[in-house]
Amino acid sequence: MEQNAMYEGQPLHHPKGWWGRYVFSQDHKVIALQYICVALAIGLTGMFLSLLMRMQLGFPGLFESISAGNYYQDVTMHGMIMVIYLLTALFLGGFGNYLIPLMLGSRDMAFPFVNMLSFWVYFLSVIILVCSFFVESGPTGAGWTLYPPQSILEGTPGADGAGILLMLGSLAVFIIAFTMGGLNYITTVLQSRAKGMSMMRMPLIIWCLFLATFLGLLAFPALLVGAIMLIFDRVLETSFFMPEIFKGGEVLDYGGGSPVLFQHLFWFFGHPEVYIIALPAFGIISELISCHARKNIFGYNMMVWALIAIAGIAFIVWAHHMYVAGMNPYLGFFFATTTLIIAVPTAIKVYNWVITLWNANIKMTVPMLYCLAFLITFLIGGLTGLFLGNVAVDVPLSDTYFVVGHFHMVMAVSPVLALYGGLVHWYPSVTGRMLDDRLGKIHFWITFVGTYLIYFPMHYIGFLGVPRRYYSNEQYDFIPQSVNDLNQFITVCALIVGAAQFIFLYNLIVSAYRGEEAGSNPWGACTLEWQALESPPGHGNWGDQLPVVYRWPYDYGLPGATADFVPQNVPDEQIT
Amino acid sequence: MDNTVNNEERFMGLTHGQVFVYTLMTVISILFLFITNAYLFRMNFEDWRSVPVPSLLWVNTGSLVLASVGMAWAKSGAKKTNLQTIKVGLAVGGLFAVIFVWGQIWAWQELTTLGFFLTINPANTFFYLITALHALHVLGGVVAWFYVTLKTFKQDASILKPESIGLLGAYWHYMLLVWVMLFGLLLTT
Repeated sequence: MEQNAMYEGQPLHHPKGWWGRYVFSQDHKVIALQYICVALAIGLTGMFLSLLMRMQLGFPGLFESISAGNYYQDVTMHGMIMVIYLLTALFLGGFGNYLIPLMLGSRDMAFPFVNMLSFWVYFLSVIILVCSFFVESGPTGAGWTLYPPQSILEGTPGADGAGILLMLGSLAVFIIAFTMGGLNYITTVLQSRAKGMSMMRMPLIIWCLFLATFLGLLAFPALLVGAIMLIFDRVLETSFFMPEIFKGGEVLDYGGGSPVLFQHLFWFFGHPEVYIIALPAFGIISELISCHARKNIFGYNMMVWALIAIAGIAFIVWAHHMYVAGMNPYLGFFFATTTLIIAVPTAIKVYNWVITLWNANIKMTVPMLYCLAFLITFLIGGLTGLFLGNVAVDVPLSDTYFVVGHFHMVMAVSPVLALYGGLVHWYPSVTGRMLDDRLGKIHFWITFVGTYLIYFPMHYIGFLGVPRRYYSNEQYDFIPQSVNDLNQFITVCALIVGAAQFIFLYNLIVSAYRGEEAGSNPWGACTLEWQALESPPGHGNWGDQLPVVYRWPYDYGLPGATADFVPQNVPDEQIT
Repeated sequence: MDNTVNNEERFMGLTHGQVFVYTLMTVISILFLFITNAYLFRMNFEDWRSVPVPSLLWVNTGSLVLASVGMAWAKSGAKKTNLQTIKVGLAVGGLFAVIFVWGQIWAWQELTTLGFFLTINPANTFFYLITALHALHVLGGVVAWFYVTLKTFKQDASILKPESIGLLGAYWHYMLLVWVMLFGLLLTT
């Protein structure tokens, strides 16, 4: 591409030197890789913390260094890292950055400098978070929901030191990073589509990323407000969320605040957050299923409207996380109803994926395996969500391992399976090489079967009434020995799954150098990111000429065409 | 060669900058909506004692109105490609925005002198929090104003377009609107 390429009257940024190309790059593809690397690194930390928790639950007392305080710190940091710093960042920062300009036929994000800034501010938020491991009191152990009053009161790990403040500060910085990135994604999707790329010709993953970004932009301010007010309560001893508290017979300086107010603010962010993670996963699955089953996605328009419905309803279900906090029964009825309603568009998506697979020419590639596994785990997570959405069922199951099993199935295992499928699918576009298929399948089977064996039994443990967040189950008569046996089994499975992730990491690194040459479009996909002149796409993505779009992104098995797919940028007259 | 990054498909004929700034305004609106919600929720508790709103806030509101007028003036100058009007309009807009923030700080000092400290009552805390958050957003606008003004004095053609100055002005008007609503909330509760 020529050096004088212009962007709305301004020159397209060209990197200068090594630092400009690989560190402070404004190229969306490099920024995407930066997001992916940092998110995977902090995600590995989160996984390690979960293994420590499992060791304590499966083999209590084996590691004397895991005290009750450490356990709660591990629980808290694991939850926050996985939800915010791994999944949100990787889906939107990683996949969003890489795919949005390429799939829309654009040269870069609308505002490349702001995009670069977004990554570095995200990186700063991760650094702040990691710092909390090294302060005297350690990181906060308040649970990932950070509920006051306990999150900022002495006695909770990290509350009397800097741990809780670093967590809240890190979240505030993350939200700034997300806002910068999110404004860019919205602008790029609305403004930088190639000629012919109407909104209803966009690949479903772009719709998903677009809507997930909207959700994030509208939901994160609630968390920011909650975090700022909690910092005030902790540092200045104000009483936004702090009620009158007696400690050792003495009244603390707090009084009159409402902990439930924090819960509302937190869950107004927290529930849309589930969809901020789930929607990009839906998008990945839609792309992968259609491409690897060599068949049009079933009901594109229906899928788009289902996504819009999910995004809208996601804002009016938050209080189903708070049934046991006490609420007006009519309000509980309202939130139970909206929770059941949101299952309808979600079910439409699942049905459409299954119908897409019906009578399709399914290729059992590694990405397709991940799609099939996603359908199974998401179905289980979704159905158990219907249990918990009902007030009468939720109350006895609340705060038991049933909830842990449910949310891990629906917003941990399922998105991570989609994530792996997506990484395997788009790896050739990033590196120009294929991942090793054998290692990919080994990793898939261990991860899928292993995570299933970890989380499915938790539903039964929950039915027995075993509470979550307990450091030790040893001193309770109502917990039978079988639960401890099952916990040992789950821990062994978790260790195996944890170890298997290094197979994937090894595959990622080694295949970049020794992997089979991928060619420009190894999966035979219709979408634009595979139609770039160079593989991997160069700076500016499209060489001299921007692509023009003539069709929707799922033209597989078009009657009269020789090939079983027709890319989006091929006009009717060029179809052979 | 097709040497543009911007492509053919646009949303409602808007520019990149307009989509960015309007979306940003939506996000900021949500932030203040949550603060307002929290305020209305908290004020129903027994310990709430409303803060007497300092009369200085009326003067500050006037400053923000003048800042907004200045920006509108700058935009009209940009439409007529009158550099002098742009410069004067920007100067008025920026100056009165800074005066507004300075006035808010002065109002806080006035309140603390009267004994309305931040931690005494939740109403006080909310007063300081809301006004500080708004002032911070105004200061964010001042950073953008500084960039645009610098470019204007360098006579950079890309900035002298009505759209660039118009967007800055839109943010100023928006900040005024947010303040009027917050001020109304503080006055009436």
